[in-house]
Amino acid sequence: MGFRIEAGLADEILRELKKSYQIYAPKRFPGQGRFAETDLIRYDEVSALSEIVFDEKSDYPAKEVITPIQQAIFYFTEEEYRASRGKSKPILLFARPCDINAQRVQAKIYAGNGGYEDLYYTRMRERVKFVLMECPGGDDTCFCASMGTNRTDDYGMAVRPDGAGGLLAEVRDEELLPYFSQAPAADFTPAFVTENETAVTPPEIPDKETLLKLKAHPVWQEFNGRCISCGACTLACSTCTCFTTRDVVYGDNPEVGERRRVSASCQVEGFSDMAGGHSFRPTAGDRMRYKILHKFHDYKARFGDMHMCVGCGRCTSRCPAYISVTATVAKVNAAVAEIRGALGQ
Amino acid sequence: MTNPVQPVPCKILSVVQESETEWTFRVETDVRPQCGQFMQLSIPMVGEAPISVSAQGDGWVEFTIRSVGKVTNVIFQKEPGDLLFLRGPYGKGWPLEQFRDKHMVVITGGTGLAPVRSMLRRFAAEPGLVRSVTLVAGFKDEGGIVFRQELEAWRTPFRTIYTLDKGEKEGWRTGLVTEFVKEIPFTTFDRNYAAVVVGPPPMMKFTGLELLKQGVPDDRIWMSFERKMSCAVGKCGHCRIDETYVCLEGPVFPYTQARYLVD
Amino acid sequence: MNHDINIKKLRLNCFRQSKEDGKFMLQMRVPGGFVEAKYLSMIRHISETWGDGNFHFGTRQTFDICGIPYENIPAVNAYLKDYIEEVDEQLCQVNMDQVAGVPAEWDRRGGYPTIGARNISACIGDYHCICGNINTFALARRLEKLIFPSHYHIKINISGCPNDCNKAHLCDFGIIGCAKIDYHPERCIGCGLCAKMCEHGATRVLSLNEKNGKIDKDPCCCVGCGECVKACPAGAWTRNPKQFYKVILGGRTGRQTPRTGKMFLNWATEDVIAGVLGNWQKFSAWVMDYKPEYLHGGHLIDRAGYKKFKEIILEGVELNPECLVAEDIFWHETEYRSNFNVKPLSAHHTAGPQPEGTHAH
Repeated sequence: MGFRIEAGLADEILRELKKSYQIYAPKRFPGQGRFAETDLIRYDEVSALSEIVFDEKSDYPAKEVITPIQQAIFYFTEEEYRASRGKSKPILLFARPCDINAQRVQAKIYAGNGGYEDLYYTRMRERVKFVLMECPGGDDTCFCASMGTNRTDDYGMAVRPDGAGGLLAEVRDEELLPYFSQAPAADFTPAFVTENETAVTPPEIPDKETLLKLKAHPVWQEFNGRCISCGACTLACSTCTCFTTRDVVYGDNPEVGERRRVSASCQVEGFSDMAGGHSFRPTAGDRMRYKILHKFHDYKARFGDMHMCVGCGRCTSRCPAYISVTATVAKVNAAVAEIRGALGQ
Repeated sequence: MTNPVQPVPCKILSVVQESETEWTFRVETDVRPQCGQFMQLSIPMVGEAPISVSAQGDGWVEFTIRSVGKVTNVIFQKEPGDLLFLRGPYGKGWPLEQFRDKHMVVITGGTGLAPVRSMLRRFAAEPGLVRSVTLVAGFKDEGGIVFRQELEAWRTPFRTIYTLDKGEKEGWRTGLVTEFVKEIPFTTFDRNYAAVVVGPPPMMKFTGLELLKQGVPDDRIWMSFERKMSCAVGKCGHCRIDETYVCLEGPVFPYTQARYLVD
Repeated sequence: MNHDINIKKLRLNCFRQSKEDGKFMLQMRVPGGFVEAKYLSMIRHISETWGDGNFHFGTRQTFDICGIPYENIPAVNAYLKDYIEEVDEQLCQVNMDQVAGVPAEWDRRGGYPTIGARNISACIGDYHCICGNINTFALARRLEKLIFPSHYHIKINISGCPNDCNKAHLCDFGIIGCAKIDYHPERCIGCGLCAKMCEHGATRVLSLNEKNGKIDKDPCCCVGCGECVKACPAGAWTRNPKQFYKVILGGRTGRQTPRTGKMFLNWATEDVIAGVLGNWQKFSAWVMDYKPEYLHGGHLIDRAGYKKFKEIILEGVELNPECLVAEDIFWHETEYRSNFNVKPLSAHHTAGPQPEGTHAH
């Protein structure tokens, strides 16, 4: 069902929805950007339509709602580990197609890999209904069309701002329909981006020998001088899932505390350090290779259906050292071509 | 829904000091890991780490832990009767069915002996399970030797070469394990053998290369990897190498696969 | 050459005497060192029409046009009308028909009326710089009308961040843009990069707490540079949108007693800065018994004593709750000669209103 929703009514509907749902959307945080007097756009609970940023891509991805940077997974008292219970209120999550498709990737790892289903991911994911934000085209860092993540069918509702503070909406979820009884019907289905300014061709790595040669190729060495290993790209990434667990004691009572899951970045030194002191991938170039190949080769080699990268371009946007993921993939492609040429492929 | 990362309390049965820095904890549990598997061991307020099972029996498993790192340091304050928290076992252990009736070559560096110990105990306890066992065990120095009594006891059923990287010891050789690979009588094994290598990453790399140099085909070599892990169930991403998760597909890998697992 | 020129009067008019006979250098105010590039054509015109064809970036960010013969000065001043009106009157909303608050009609074709309050210099600030915490030239434009025109001398330098590229520590009244930093621990991944950057480039107030994987901060010693914000991959550190400033007081170069300034205010808001500078004319006038001299602000503070300065300069200023004020300041001067201040009592300077018939030195 399509609806035209005036500004005032939209906020009324939002207020009603908030009684039954937590509503998360990209929100502007004035002055909280990396540089002075710049804004930060990230996900947070919203109460009014005007709080939702439609025209600009958020700096941080929608995954933060489902797999937060930090969450308590166990509470312990003396000698008991009790799993955190989590909340049950369902969530409406405003997201662009890239962010929605990213959940297919996160689910493969969290809810499927190795036959283990992660309690914390699944219970959160099950609460979420997506509100598809029709993408106005992204920016020059986007390449969703190249990754096949420009379209999605996974939404309970889709919206497009009407330019006058209101919305055009397509409501598909039966549970959401009653909220729109006051809104006049309108013909609306969301449009999808079909082409981006930037295109990417993921590398074709036909076999293990080529992969081994690519891993040792000098193409990665450029990043030893450029990448500062801050991990901003992985925090901004729509699909990165890595985390570390950490036990924390509350205050001055060592018998009470929690076990936390905190996002981890393969780009930050120490990610692979073992208790005995041995570490792997000691250079920024090694770590860049690890990330890029995961996004554009390894994940697909394991799970088959799609690449890990959804082309949201946030890693490029957030990189303080101006490292472009699309330019990097192009360099990797050149290296692969060189290797395959030498191997006579 | 079950929680795959839920730790279960287990009572410590005994604590034995193996070396200057290594201790073996026997813990009460009904789980029966395969030889070569590992478990996630945790202490509330401190954290969790993957530890390989170094021996097992009816109602117990043993872990041999080096006194390094935050989790493992606190374990050394534990006494019999205290609780440790376990989950697992995880990963794929040694392919014992494939090893049956073969001449076994086991090469270890330092505490790399721990992940093969339960398998060696089985070989010693069940003569005839494999044709023969050649054990090359190396340690950095005398203070680093673990499982001393078992090593001595194994001199009889196994062909043994024990070595220290530096220092002299009666009945022991001096030098890196790689130097003794050429003394292994592969030609007498009738092409019916398997080689197992466990130790620090450089030791495994160079031992693997030395085995190949001695004419051992790559499909007869097996290795066990050690990696940082936060979950052991394929979620946290720390142990991933390419499309392989060490916690799920490892820690034991055939060399045909391991040679591509470059970090 | 036979000249009869009042060079003091010309100096007040912002023309500096040249070593070349009969020639002068014009110093044009550029508040905050930032104006539209279109004015470069004016500079070129003045220089090529009345000067020697060159210009110099003044050390206080003035456009300095040298080699102007004395007889060209009236024509230059007439031409300056548009520039002064546009930059000072319109951009900075300066009331040109007063001097230090006393009504005095400005001769629009007569060039600059005073030289006392020097051009407010500034680094590029957050208009461009990734380190900047504030818009420096916007602040300069706000302050310009408080200190100019005036015969009381003050040098104000504005730096956008505590890196202090524009040397707030070496002028009478140095202003440094600072950020109060908010920590969002729920976004912190414990990578410790902020602590590394703070140690590398600031005051080592951050450390990674190994027990909880979060950052401990010694808030007292934070200079408010924002390096942690720049470093954080997760947005766990953000600048508080309220902007703050440090004031570094009494720094100077010079032949007698050069010294770096010391902190007078910390975490002051822009309104407090404006309030304080609004009292500057009053303070200067009081110290010099209402008779302006060619003497810079730092020396005036010396004469009055810091505590008297503080009393007058804070009069009627409502301090923001975060604002800290130096109780006392002890400058450390370079001693070109020892016991520089020991001299006959009759040679001592005075401060404040003097009995009729006497005059401060």
